[in-house]
Amino acid sequence: MKLRQCLALALSALLVAALPGCSLAGMSANTAASTDITDMAGREVRLPVWPAERIVVLSPADCEILYALGAGETVVGRGEYCDYPAEAQQAPVVQSGQDTNTEQIIALEPQVVVLSDMAQTDEQIAAIESAGIPVVVTDAQDIEGVYEASGLLGTVVNRGEEAAALEKEMRDRFAALDGSAAAGKSVYFEISPLEYGLWTAGTGTFMNEIADMLGLRNAFGDVSSWAGISQEQVIERSPDMIVTVTMYFGEGPTPVDEIRGRSGWEGIAAVADGAVYQVDNDAFTRPGPRLAEAAEVLADLIARSE
Amino acid sequence: MNGAKWKRPQRGEGFRPAEYLLLALITLAVALFCVCVGSVTVPLGDTLNAIEGALAGRDGAGTAAAIIISVRIPRVLCVALTGAALSLSGGAMQGLLRNPLADGSTLGVSSGASLGAVLAIAFGVSIPGLTGGGTTVMAMVFAFLSLLLILSLAHRLDYSLSTNTIILIGVVFSMFANSMISLVAAFAGDRVKTILFWTMGSLAGASYGNVLTVACALAVCGSVLLLHARELNAFAIGEDNARHVGIDLRRVKLVVLISVSALIGVCVSIGGTISFVGLVIPHMTRMLTGPNHRRLLPASMFGGAVFLMLADLLSRVIVRPMELPIGVVTSIVGSVVFVYIFYSTRRVR
Repeated sequence: MKLRQCLALALSALLVAALPGCSLAGMSANTAASTDITDMAGREVRLPVWPAERIVVLSPADCEILYALGAGETVVGRGEYCDYPAEAQQAPVVQSGQDTNTEQIIALEPQVVVLSDMAQTDEQIAAIESAGIPVVVTDAQDIEGVYEASGLLGTVVNRGEEAAALEKEMRDRFAALDGSAAAGKSVYFEISPLEYGLWTAGTGTFMNEIADMLGLRNAFGDVSSWAGISQEQVIERSPDMIVTVTMYFGEGPTPVDEIRGRSGWEGIAAVADGAVYQVDNDAFTRPGPRLAEAAEVLADLIARSE
Repeated sequence: MNGAKWKRPQRGEGFRPAEYLLLALITLAVALFCVCVGSVTVPLGDTLNAIEGALAGRDGAGTAAAIIISVRIPRVLCVALTGAALSLSGGAMQGLLRNPLADGSTLGVSSGASLGAVLAIAFGVSIPGLTGGGTTVMAMVFAFLSLLLILSLAHRLDYSLSTNTIILIGVVFSMFANSMISLVAAFAGDRVKTILFWTMGSLAGASYGNVLTVACALAVCGSVLLLHARELNAFAIGEDNARHVGIDLRRVKLVVLISVSALIGVCVSIGGTISFVGLVIPHMTRMLTGPNHRRLLPASMFGGAVFLMLADLLSRVIVRPMELPIGVVTSIVGSVVFVYIFYSTRRVR
């Protein structure tokens, strides 16, 4: 009995000792130049292989940035929601967020994993790192954060110039917008339709930041981040524009018609003036390059609702 | 009729008209209060003007009229009817099963109904000419099938249908139904959001159409249940007793179970799963009225309406301008009472 226990203990100790050895052996086979970077969570990360050629990216926005930098071929795995641009959809899919599966990631043999602070937990990051794979964390809270993320990813793939060019292009596009186009009009962003309880985007969201740039006042500027709100409040605040991100699945009324047809909403300025619009959810909510496009779309809608 | 086989009930066993009037007045007062108070503060005068205008057939103009007539009144009505329906079905089930913890949510019937609704959405089941009819009917059918499954399982395992057995099976079945919902959601892709709704519950978008649906269900199934109050009294003493006084056990059981599942199915298809109303209200009502179902069932209906209206009011105003899901409020109150009931029944034994 005693001997068996001892043996079991010794065996498991051996296993534990052998595990990190395994992953180290795997990495040392590749002897490209290594580099140290600091990611957006303030973590010092050593990239043993640099520039990285095999990346698993879990967050959709970072995936879009990598492609915008021309580093699409380095993406050897993507989180399930990384669907843009279209060529990204050829990369193998791994689970992300709550369902992140470390085994799937390890199986793709990435040299680095890129993920966002918001969607993943510290435990998940630790699990990936303990498998010997460095993790780079992005955390873009606002548009400045998007520039920072693209700079960071530019460093990871050694495409600093492209990152600078992307930042300049975005800045130029934002600068070209007319900051007084909306002339104090108010907007209500609808994230979730009435049937499932109304949700809107308040301060601290990209929608709010873009509206700000155009001189558009968020009708729910007193609410922070995404929040469930009351239908009565929308009617009372009577926004001049309604922008919904609800997707249309080809059945029943379109999201715009559904909003126009809600009883009690006839008196809302946006409904009375026909200023109810549907936009692409991803462009407006992902901290990626398409935010410039989103701002232009919104500017267009303002012009249309004149 | 089997009712003729035993002594006619004594006068005064049910509620007197005056008592009904009192209950109705209390409910009406709470409803009015809930219409007057909300997320947006509408002055009382404007509220009354809007209601008066709508009653006179004038088309209400302005923000106040839109909020009161189009949003708040249908919501309060729908909440009240849902509360009454859930509470009545909880009370009837507790009597039938002689189990103080029986309720749509504890038995897993609500989860079963949600599963039915989710399947209807995922596979596009619809009834031509009746929007939302497919989900409602599927929710009702699945509520009934779940109830049958749960009860027949319970019978197999433990003929006396003891509290613990039923609750355990209910928990297991709820987990099963919820995991099936997650499974369907995983395959349904883009429609996932629609599906998540059935697991949470919201009456925020209630329309007059919804009000009509619940009202019809309550009128039909509610009267059937109320008419069986005497049979439920006999069941509450024991099935043997019920058989001895000449009750057709199978028929009564079937009728009650069908009515209960229809009510729960309709409520779930409109408001999603709202937990604990059917558990807490009949129990609290029983403390006031005693166990006689002729008093308990109608009182539970009024109690359920009042409770859910107040819970909804809280969820609307507590974090203005935001809104809480109604299930949050009912679950907080409900779980505390649940523990209390469980504790006190254990102590007695």
